[in-house]
Amino acid sequence: MPDERVLSGIGVTPRVGVGTARWHRPEIELSDPPAPETVDPEAERSRFETARDRAREAIERERDRAEERVGAEEAAVFDAHRQFLDDPQISEGVESALGDGLPAEHAVQRTFDRFVEQFAGMEGRMAERADDLRDLRDRLLRILTDATTTDLAAVPEGTVLLAERLTPSDTAALDPERVAGVAVQTGGRTSHAAIFARALALPAVVGVGDALSDVPEGAAVLVDGEAGEVVVDPGENRRASADESAGASVREGRVTTTDGRAVEVAANVGRPVEVDPAVERGADGIGLYRTEFLFLDRDAPPDEAEQMAAYRSALAAFPEGRVVCRTLDVGGDKPIPYLDLPESENPFLGERGIRRSLGPDADLFETQLRALLRAGAESGDDGGGEDADDETGAALGDLAVMLPMVSRIEEVESVLAVLESVASDLDSAGVPYAMPEFGVMVETPAAATLAGDLAERVDFLSIGTNDLTQYVMAASRGDERVAALHDPLYPAVLRTIRQTTRAADGTDCWVGMCGEMAGDPALTELLIGLGLDELSASVVTVPDVKARVSETDSEAARALAERALAAETVAEVREIVGIE
Amino acid sequence: MRRVVTVVPEAGLHARPAAKFVETAGEFDAEVQVGRADEGDDGLVNAASMLGVTGLNVRRDEDVLIVAEGDDAEAALDALEAILSTPESGDGESEDA
Repeated sequence: MPDERVLSGIGVTPRVGVGTARWHRPEIELSDPPAPETVDPEAERSRFETARDRAREAIERERDRAEERVGAEEAAVFDAHRQFLDDPQISEGVESALGDGLPAEHAVQRTFDRFVEQFAGMEGRMAERADDLRDLRDRLLRILTDATTTDLAAVPEGTVLLAERLTPSDTAALDPERVAGVAVQTGGRTSHAAIFARALALPAVVGVGDALSDVPEGAAVLVDGEAGEVVVDPGENRRASADESAGASVREGRVTTTDGRAVEVAANVGRPVEVDPAVERGADGIGLYRTEFLFLDRDAPPDEAEQMAAYRSALAAFPEGRVVCRTLDVGGDKPIPYLDLPESENPFLGERGIRRSLGPDADLFETQLRALLRAGAESGDDGGGEDADDETGAALGDLAVMLPMVSRIEEVESVLAVLESVASDLDSAGVPYAMPEFGVMVETPAAATLAGDLAERVDFLSIGTNDLTQYVMAASRGDERVAALHDPLYPAVLRTIRQTTRAADGTDCWVGMCGEMAGDPALTELLIGLGLDELSASVVTVPDVKARVSETDSEAARALAERALAAETVAEVREIVGIE
Repeated sequence: MRRVVTVVPEAGLHARPAAKFVETAGEFDAEVQVGRADEGDDGLVNAASMLGVTGLNVRRDEDVLIVAEGDDAEAALDALEAILSTPESGDGESEDA
């Protein structure tokens, strides 16, 4: 067996893939230009114009494709490409080079290289322009030279794609049916390659560095997108683990354990563009809809009509499912100019979430509740007439409203009173609305301790494991020095979760979990054993979690959970659950 | 017609201020060029080019030279000066939320 060689980078998806290395080298080397007197400038001008038209069409096609697969935000990069293609500076540069007697491809290269160099020397977002320009330059050169480069949409099945850099147009072309993994020398967690890979659930490692360039074409390569490793000539053990982690296929509809216990698998959604991918990946609904996206990056809060339209479109995407909207959850850690959020010594322990909604943001909160109640109404009659929207009359899923950062029973009582008053206002105004399911997030130790009393008052509890872990372990998520303490598998956290589910046993209150823990398929059996009724996962891992649910026996899961709860160290828990 | 203006927006002549500048320059019949004031005429680029304008890498508090030729040159200079003198317009945001 050959020795395996491990290269490190940044893992971007919790997936492992194995396949055959294939290098993607889109750069085109032009030979020296012919003597100017042998070149016909008119013919070259026309070649350039034709190439530019073809490039424009291709960019528009890829733009639509990217929007469909990843979302409008990522597709916008193609708008920039189109703008640069028609930029007067580019036209002037090419025109001048053609005037010097260069053929079209050399004119393109000379013009673009000047701008690439200029932008590459700048900082931040401006440096990204250099990548956009390289991408555009190579596209034009490929067209002009009829270059046969890898058609990324048509690579053989089982390809592990290696590249120095992957441009937005490259990544938009990747076909997850054929590409087993991606490894890139450059790029970080938020690079285009990383964002696309995550959206397509491809095993991917970026930022591997120069060492990747030594991997020969045709080598067997394993890409571990969780550990951030690229393994050349992987041994049998490694390959076996890759087989196990191969992505599950999408399952439509609800799943149950092998003994028939229903477990809802929903998706966490933070931006509207993630709603459609959640549907495509078979989520039963949305278990955590972060409404913050509506409030960030603007100068004034969204009004009732705008909010209602946003909530309705999420509800329309899941006519058979439930959409759990979390009310505005902000504190001193996110700047929102119009809210005048106070500087806080420790924003995570300060005035945030429900504390603001019942305090300085009371008006905003009431508006949000009105929008939510109205959004849930099935009727096509919009009451006021001004808010008619294109979802009117569409079948809508069930709305649920959830409060963040609850630590006292009084908070829930106060919100229930506000809810009643909003409903009665809508009643008197004759505006149609529906009373949503109502629940609270369990993310403070106080809420977990009071879970039984909360369960008597609400329809559901949803355990937010990221914050709950932070508060139970008293370890800030953002502080690297204590990052190791921020692990939901610590027995203290597991016992807090169990305390919560047990408190709701025998009541009508269901208990869900949102947060990264719920989306880790390696923990699905444990979570079922701990008594969760719903798991809200990241969009990417929804199919894996569903697959795990349908393979789990709930009695065995309970036994596993009992053993984990009895453990005293995180190492024991990890051993019991069977993860490294 | 020429004018020297100090750049006020936080982002300098990048991102939104640049996009607005380019868009506005394109609305006039006058031929407009822009450059860093300390480079004089040698540093001028087409003001209707996003690449050219952002490529200048002009930051806040730097001086730029705007040169406009044509019937509505003065109006063009006034409009462009207004953009460069406004801290951050803030409009156009509400649509993409």
